Amino acid sequence: MPPTPPDERQQLDARLVQRIAAGDRGALGELYDRFSGPLLGSAVRILRDQAEAQDVVHDVFVVMWEKAGTFDTARGNAFAWAVTLVRNRAIDRVRMRRRRAELLDGAALSDLGYAESTGASSGGEAVTQGEDALAVRAAVATLPPEQQRALELAFFGGFTQEEIARQLAQPLGTIKARIRRGLLKLRDSLASRP
Amino acid sequence: MIDERHEELASLYAFELLEGAERTAFEQQLATDPELTALVAELRETAASLAHTTPAVAAPADLKARIFATIDRAEAATPTLRDNVIRPSFGIWQIFPWAAAACFALCALWLGQGYLTERTEARLLRNQQALAEVSLKTALQQLEIEREVSTKRLDEAGQKLAAATTDLGALRSQLGEARTQLTSRDQQVSTLSERIAALASGSTALERQLADSRQQIAQLSADLRTQGDLARYQVTALVSMLEGSPKAVAASVWDPAKQEGVLKVDKLPALAANQDYQLWIVDPQYPNPVDGGVFTVDPQTGAQKVSYKAKQPVSSVAAFAVTLERKGGVPKAEGPFVLLGN
Repeated sequence: MPPTPPDERQQLDARLVQRIAAGDRGALGELYDRFSGPLLGSAVRILRDQAEAQDVVHDVFVVMWEKAGTFDTARGNAFAWAVTLVRNRAIDRVRMRRRRAELLDGAALSDLGYAESTGASSGGEAVTQGEDALAVRAAVATLPPEQQRALELAFFGGFTQEEIARQLAQPLGTIKARIRRGLLKLRDSLASRP
Repeated sequence: MIDERHEELASLYAFELLEGAERTAFEQQLATDPELTALVAELRETAASLAHTTPAVAAPADLKARIFATIDRAEAATPTLRDNVIRPSFGIWQIFPWAAAACFALCALWLGQGYLTERTEARLLRNQQALAEVSLKTALQQLEIEREVSTKRLDEAGQKLAAATTDLGALRSQLGEARTQLTSRDQQVSTLSERIAALASGSTALERQLADSRQQIAQLSADLRTQGDLARYQVTALVSMLEGSPKAVAASVWDPAKQEGVLKVDKLPALAANQDYQLWIVDPQYPNPVDGGVFTVDPQTGAQKVSYKAKQPVSSVAAFAVTLERKGGVPKAEGPFVLLGN
């Protein structure tokens, strides 16, 4: 089966959101089938806790059902919208939890799971990631390791700029530059894919 | 054209990493800069794509059902939770004939508008209620996390307190030991001070002994000098040559350097008025004794002490002799020998 072009996937997602806005429960089910794997993966990655991650994903799909009518396709694709909802809720929880970790004499990266390889396979790998996942991974792999690390902590860590700088033992200006260069290059790589 | 500074701000904003005044200022720029807004949208989408870098996790079978159950519960309380544009159905009105509609158009329009308004407001309120319930659930979860954090903090504070108490005990013990050591050191210092004082005192005594010794050495040196002087003197005892005065004695001390001497006599016979005793110094270089001068004695004791000088240079004294001569002495001995010694 030939891969689906990214634009078509995004258009399909957008149509599903429009159907959800019209009260189509089937569309919500379809969107769940498409998004739940990567959304739950991201939530687990951020939270390091399956039960909490499932709670977050649960809440996000309820919110998507309620707010689908407010989604503006001109401002981004549906997957990005869903990821942003998951990430914001997960990071809120992580920051609460980190306060506990700080009581345990500081949270090392390894404690929070960020020292693990982003490309490591797991049981969840059996679930297909789709063409988008493969393309994003390939694009991230072309980034210098230090930019990969900065983006990884910025997205999954829930850290402030200063905390990322401390974690990586680099000046704040260096971290800002790595995030800028890494994100722009990733954008360009993803935009140029066929 | 967006400069690097704004690209950086947009990148950080896409990751929700801008805070405070920096975030506010950037959002104000976004409101007036469509190009920057478009860049932020792109970067947010790109940032969201990072979700694909982590392995997908298969959701449990019941999660989907739980989501729909939650939606069902919420909609049971309200026809719809969604913030959708309200789509009222006018089908009920369409079933009336146009004629009846014309008769009641104004009334129906008024009632319909009122109904729709009320319905819309009711739905909005129910939607708000549903959202509030979700928020409440989230808040309760956060409170639970806060409670866990507080409990953990309390436990750890207790542990730290216990550890601090233990440390305090150890520190007190160390303090006691330090005080004991300090006391011991004070005693050692006191003992050393006493020793130093004793040594200082001993030093004074030694200095005194040294001064005494120096005096003794000076005295001994003086004595030695005296003895040296004595050594260069020639002391000669003279014995009686008189049968009638066998106890007559004399002693002569001769200083060769000064060519003079002292003669002390005792128990010599008293002299007649026209007589003197005369001392002679026998030097082998001369054929006759050298005149040492005349002297008299105490008539009662026969004693006298006289200083004399040789009338001629004497290089070597072989003997001393005393003769009895006429008053004033003679150049060459004539009278009998009274005393003789060598």
